[in-house]
Amino acid sequence: MNLHRVAAIAYKEWREVVRDRLFTIMAFGIPVITLLVLGYGVSLDVERIPFAVLDQDRSELSRDYLHRFIDSRYFDFKGEVSDERALEALLSDSRIRFAIVIPPRFGQRLREGRPVAVQSLVDGVFTYRAQVSKGYVAAINGDFNRRLLLDHLARKRGLSRQRGETMVEPVQLEVRYLYNQAIRSRWSMSSGLIMLVLMFSPPFLTALGVVREKENGSIYNIYASTVSRGEFILGKLLPYVAISAINVMVLWWLVILVFGAPFKGILLFYLPASLVFVVCTTGIGLLVSLLVRTQAAAALLTIVITFIPAMLFSGLLVPIESMNPEARFEAHLFPAIYYLQAVWGVFLKGLGWKGLWQPVAALVAYAAVIWFMGLMLFHKRPGR
Amino acid sequence: MTWLQRLFTMTVKELKQLSRDPILLVVIAYFFTADIYIAASGIHMDLRQASLAVLDHDHSESSRELIHRFQPPWFELKGELSDTHQARRMLDAGEVLAVIDIPEHFQRDLERGRQVSVQMQVDASNSVLGTLVTTYATQIASRFSQEKAQELHGRLKLETLPAVLDRHRVWYNPNQNDTWFMSISELLTVITMLSLMLPAAAAVREKERGTIEQLVVSPLTPAQILLPKVLSMGLVVLAGTAVSLFLMIVPAFGVPIKGSIPLFFAVTALYVFATAGLGLFIATLSRTLGQVVMLVILVMMPILLLSGAWTPPEAMPEFLRRAMVLSPLSYFIEMAYGILLKGAGVKLLWDSILGLALLGSLLFGFGVWRFRRQFG
Amino acid sequence: METDATTVIRLRGFEKRYRRQVAVRGVDLEVRSGEIYGLIGPDGAGKSSLMKAVAGVLAHDGGRVEVFGITVDSEAAAERIKGRIGFMPQGLGLNLYPELSVEENIDFFARLREVPAAELARRKAKLLAMTRLAPFRDRPMKHLSGGMKQKLGLVCTLIHEPELVILDEPTTGVDPVSRRDFWAILAEMLRERGITTLVSTAYLDEADRFHRLSLLYEGTVLATGEPDQLRAHAGGDDTDLEQVFVSLLRDQGVAEEVTASVPSTTTPGNEAAIEARELTRDFGHFRAVDRVSFRVRRGEIFGLLGANGAGKTTVIKMLTGILPPTSGSGQVAGADMGHAGHRIKRRIGYMSQAFSLYRDLSVMENLRLFAGIYGVPRRQRKARLRQLIDTTGLAGNERRLAGDLPMGIRQRLALACALVHRPRVLFLDEPTSGVDPLGRRRFWNILLRMAREEGVAILITTHYMSEAEQCDLLALMHAGRIIADASPTELKARLERDAGKLLELDCDRPLVALETLEAAGYRGVSLFGRKLHLLSRRPERAREKIEILLRSKGVRLLALRPRPPTLEDVFIYRILEQEAAS
Repeated sequence: MNLHRVAAIAYKEWREVVRDRLFTIMAFGIPVITLLVLGYGVSLDVERIPFAVLDQDRSELSRDYLHRFIDSRYFDFKGEVSDERALEALLSDSRIRFAIVIPPRFGQRLREGRPVAVQSLVDGVFTYRAQVSKGYVAAINGDFNRRLLLDHLARKRGLSRQRGETMVEPVQLEVRYLYNQAIRSRWSMSSGLIMLVLMFSPPFLTALGVVREKENGSIYNIYASTVSRGEFILGKLLPYVAISAINVMVLWWLVILVFGAPFKGILLFYLPASLVFVVCTTGIGLLVSLLVRTQAAAALLTIVITFIPAMLFSGLLVPIESMNPEARFEAHLFPAIYYLQAVWGVFLKGLGWKGLWQPVAALVAYAAVIWFMGLMLFHKRPGR
Repeated sequence: MTWLQRLFTMTVKELKQLSRDPILLVVIAYFFTADIYIAASGIHMDLRQASLAVLDHDHSESSRELIHRFQPPWFELKGELSDTHQARRMLDAGEVLAVIDIPEHFQRDLERGRQVSVQMQVDASNSVLGTLVTTYATQIASRFSQEKAQELHGRLKLETLPAVLDRHRVWYNPNQNDTWFMSISELLTVITMLSLMLPAAAAVREKERGTIEQLVVSPLTPAQILLPKVLSMGLVVLAGTAVSLFLMIVPAFGVPIKGSIPLFFAVTALYVFATAGLGLFIATLSRTLGQVVMLVILVMMPILLLSGAWTPPEAMPEFLRRAMVLSPLSYFIEMAYGILLKGAGVKLLWDSILGLALLGSLLFGFGVWRFRRQFG
Repeated sequence: METDATTVIRLRGFEKRYRRQVAVRGVDLEVRSGEIYGLIGPDGAGKSSLMKAVAGVLAHDGGRVEVFGITVDSEAAAERIKGRIGFMPQGLGLNLYPELSVEENIDFFARLREVPAAELARRKAKLLAMTRLAPFRDRPMKHLSGGMKQKLGLVCTLIHEPELVILDEPTTGVDPVSRRDFWAILAEMLRERGITTLVSTAYLDEADRFHRLSLLYEGTVLATGEPDQLRAHAGGDDTDLEQVFVSLLRDQGVAEEVTASVPSTTTPGNEAAIEARELTRDFGHFRAVDRVSFRVRRGEIFGLLGANGAGKTTVIKMLTGILPPTSGSGQVAGADMGHAGHRIKRRIGYMSQAFSLYRDLSVMENLRLFAGIYGVPRRQRKARLRQLIDTTGLAGNERRLAGDLPMGIRQRLALACALVHRPRVLFLDEPTSGVDPLGRRRFWNILLRMAREEGVAILITTHYMSEAEQCDLLALMHAGRIIADASPTELKARLERDAGKLLELDCDRPLVALETLEAAGYRGVSLFGRKLHLLSRRPERAREKIEILLRSKGVRLLALRPRPPTLEDVFIYRILEQEAAS
C-alpha cells in the first residue's frame, strides 16, 4: 500500500467533487434537506382530527360530554349537523375523519344511572389514524365515565371520592416513559433520520462518483497505471467518507438545534460509531458501482437497496416487533437496524460504548465484509 | 389532421422504444407488482410480540394472573427479573421494550379494598412503539381492573351504573386491515414515481443520444415532441395500474372497489398528466439520465410527504398542512381513496379534480415553456 | 534503452470476443523499439480491443500477448508492465478530469506515477511549452478546445516518460492544425527519448506519419508494412493509402467498385439555395460567429472547414433555425430565416454531428418515423421509402436495429432519413466522422448524385481533406470568421502563389534534419514517417541550400522533390497565418 498514490487519488477526487457544483449541492444539500423535510413531515403525533357532531339530545350533559372533544387538542371541531346522512357525506368527502352521534335522552338516561351507547364513526382508510382516534375516544370516554360513576356513587351510596375510585378501579397502571418522557415523536424521528440519511446518501454519492469514472473512461488511467486495487478503492472512497463525516456533524447539530432533541450520550461514542456506519454504507455504494455501468442505473439501484430498507425495514417507522418473520429477517440483513439502535441509544438513552458495543461490532463486521467483497469484485484487467 | 398524425407517429415511436428496453420493462413490472406486494404485506402498524419483562415483588396468585394477561400475539414475556438495575440494563440495551413492576402486598391490598398501582416503564426512544405498547398495556390492565372490581364488589351491576358505552364503528375498512391502506398507498406512490420518471427519462434520452437535434430541425412543435412522451408513458402507467389493481391488490388483499372504475382511471390519467409535466421540467434541467433520477428523488420526497401517504395530515404542523395544496399527490390520494374505498363520485370530488387539473396544466405548461426556451 | 531491433510488443494469434461476438481474431503483430506503429481501420475493426489488451487493461480470449518480453496473461502479469507504459484511451479528453485545471490534471497523473517533484516541474514546463498550453495552466479542462484537450491528454500520458505509449485514435474529431501539432509533439518525444508508439487512427492520410502500419478490417489484418511498401503493393508510388485500403478490400471481395464521379444532369442555376448575409452570433461576451456571408446555389456542394470551435456548427444551427442569429439575415430554400423558420424546417434535411437516429428502432422503423414526422402522404410513403432504400443502398438491412449497424451503413441511414421528404437543401455536420474510406466513398457518391441529378444544395462540414476535395466551393473558418473562400483548385493555387512550393525531403536522419531545418527558419517543416515536408518560395535553389545545411549536421540528403500541395497544407498555412497576425 503506497500512501502517496492513495493521497493523489483522494486529492484529485476531492477536487472534482468540490468543483462540480451540482455534485457539491447534492453531497451537502440532500442530507440536510432530507432531514428537515422528513423531520417535519413524517410525524405520527396525530392531532386536530377534523370531526363533526350529531347531537340528538341537546341536554346540558351532552354538551358537557361533547366539549371534552371540542376542547381537546387532538380533535378539530368542524360543526354540528342535523341528520346522519349529512355525517355520511362529510366523511366520504374526507372533510371530517371522525363523527360522534349522541342519541336522544342521553342526559336523562345517565342521570337515571343507566348506560348509554354513543356512536363514534371513524374513517378507516388510514388505519394508523383510525387506531389513534379510537384510542383518544377511549381515553375521553374513560375519564368521563369515571367522573359519572364517582358522582353516582357519591349521590346514591354516599361514598367518598377516594373510596369510590378504589371500588371502581382497584388496579391502576402507572406508565413511566423512559428516555423520551413527553413521548415526542419528533425526538425519535429526527435522531432516527440521521440513520436514514447516512444510509442512502454516502452510497448514492459513491456509486455516482465511481460509475462516472467508468462511464467516461477515465477509469482507464487507473487500469493502465501501477496503482493497486486497494490503493485505488481507498483513495477513491476517502473523500466520500470525509463528506459523510462532515454530514455526521451537521446532522447531529441540526437534530439538536432544530428539532430540540436531547443528546444524552457522548460524542466520543457517536462520532466513531457514525464513522463506522458511514464506512459501511460507502462500501455499499462501491459494490453498487461495480455492478452497474451507468449513473442512472447506479442511482436507481442505490435507492432501491438503501432508501426503502432504511425507511421500512429498520425499525424507524415500522417497529421491528410488528414485522412478520421474513420481513424481520430481511431487516437484519441491512446495517440500518444496528445503527438505529446506536443512534437512539446515544441520543435518547445516553448510552456509550458499554451499552452499545454490540451493534457497533456488527457494523464493523458488516463493513469489513462489504469492503472485502468490493476489493474482490474490482479488476484492473476486466474481460469487457 | 397532420398535427394529429404526427402526434400519433411519435407516440407509437415512444412505445416501440420502451418495448425494446428490457431493463426498464423489468423495473416497471417490479414496481407494479412485487414492490406493492412487499409494502402491503410486510408492514403492520399494530403491535406484535413486544418484548416485556416483569419485576414481581408479590409472587401471588393475582400478580401471576395479571402477568399472564400480557400474551402473544401482542406481547412476548421475556421472563422475570430480580431487581431494578437489571430492568434498567435490559431497557437500555433494547432487549425489552417495557418492564412491569408489581409491588409487594399486591394481592393483600387488593383484597383489603385498597387501590394498588402497578408501574410500567416503557422505552419511548421509539415514540411509535412506546405509544403502541402503552395503549395495549392500558387496555389489558383496565380489563383486569374491571374484572377484579366485579369479583370484589359483585353487587356493582354494570347495567345499573351510568356510563357512556362507545359503539365504535370504523367505516370503509371495518376490520382495520392494514394491507388495504398500504397497498393502495404504495400503488399511488409507484404511479407518482413512474409518471415523473418515465417521460423525463424518455425526454432526456433524446438529449443524451443527440436525437433531439433531429427533432428540433424537423417541423415538429415542442408540444408535438413532448406530448407523445406523456401520452405513451401515461398509457403504460395506466396499464400497470390496471394490472396491479385487478390482478393483485383486489384478489390478494381483498380490497373492495366501491366506486366507479372508469372514474378512477380518468382521475389517474389526469394525475399522470400533472406529474408528467413536472417530469418534463426535470428533463429540461438535466443532461443525463443519472441527473434525472437524482432530481426525481429530490422532488419525490416533498411530494410524498405533503401528500398524506406516509403521514396523516392531522399529524403535520400547520404550515405543512397548508403546503399540501402544492403536492399533486395530496389531491390524488384523496380522490383515489374516495373512489376506491368510499365510493365517492364526481359530485363529491369535483373540487379535488379541479385543483389537480389546474395544478397539472400549470406544471405541464411550465415544462413545455422551459423546453421551448432550451431548444429555441 | 533498447536497441533498434528489440521487439517491444509481440502478438501471436490474438483473439478477443465480447459474449458471442468476435471482435478480433488471429492477429499477429510485432512492434519494434523506437518506432511509431500505426493501426488503421474503421470503427469496429478491433483496434481498441487490441490496444487495451496490449496495455494490460482488458483480458483477451485467445493467443499470446507479449510486452517487454513479459507474457500478459493475468492481472498480476499485466501489473508488471504498467509502470513502463502510457495509455490514452479513445475519446477526446475523456480520460481527463473536466473539473480540474490543466495543471491539476498533469499533477494527478504525475503523482499517480510517483514522478519526483523536481523532475515533474522540469517535465511539466517543457511539455506545456511544447504544446503551447502554458498560458492555460489554470483553466479547467472542460473549457479547453478539442485540440487542446487532446494535447493535454498526450502530456498526461507522457508525464512519467514511459518507454511505450499506446494511443487510441488520438486525432479523431480534431482539426488538421491540432493534428499536425500533435504529430510534432510525438516526433519530438521520439527524437528525445526514443519511445515506442502504438497508435490507431481512422484518417488514412495520417498513415504516412507511421514507420510501419497494419490495416485492420473486421477483426483481421488486411496488410502490414511500411507505407511505401503498401503503396507499391497497390501498384503505384502516388496512390494515396485510401486507394490502397479500398483495393485491399476489393481483393477480399468485400467491396464493389464505386465510381466517384457523377455527371451533372442539372445545371446549377443562379438562384441561391442558401444565402447568409453578415450572420453573427454572440454567446454572452463571446462572439462565436462573426459576420459570415456566403451563397450556395442549387446543385452545389459547399464545404465548411475549420478547427473545432471555429463556429461551423453555430452557422449551421442558425441556418436550420435551431438558433436565432444575434444579427444578420439569410435565406434558406427560398424562405427568409428571420420569420419563416417553420417553412424552412419543412424544406431542409439535416444530419447532425453525432449519430442521431433511434438505435433501438429498426432501419425501416426509423424511416417510417421520419416520413411521419415530415408528413409524407401515406399513399406515397411506401414508394418513397423503397426508392430511398435503393439510392442509399440499405436493401437487406431493413429489419436490423439501427444500433447494430456498422458505422458506414448507419450514416447512410441517417442520410436517408434526412432525405425522406425530398428536401431542397441539405445540411450535413461532420457526417462521416469515424467511417471507413469505403463507406465514405459510397456516402459521397450519394451526395454527388443528389446534387448533380436532383439539384439539391448541400452544405457540409468535414475534417477529411479527401472529402473537401470533392466540394465545389470551400470556406475556411477561423475564430468565427471566414478567412478564405474559393474552389479547392483555386485555394491550392493561391497557396503556391503566397507561400511557395511544397517539397518532400528524404534523408538518413529525419529527426535531426527536422530540428536543423526548423532552426534555419524553413516554414511548414513537418515529419511524415521517415520523410519531411517543407515549403519553399524558390524550390529550384532550395536543394543546394538544404543539402549544405544538412551536411553540416552530418545528415545525408537522399532525395528532394516537389509535391502538389494538399488542402491540409492550405488549411494549416492559412490558419497559422491568421494566428500569427493576431
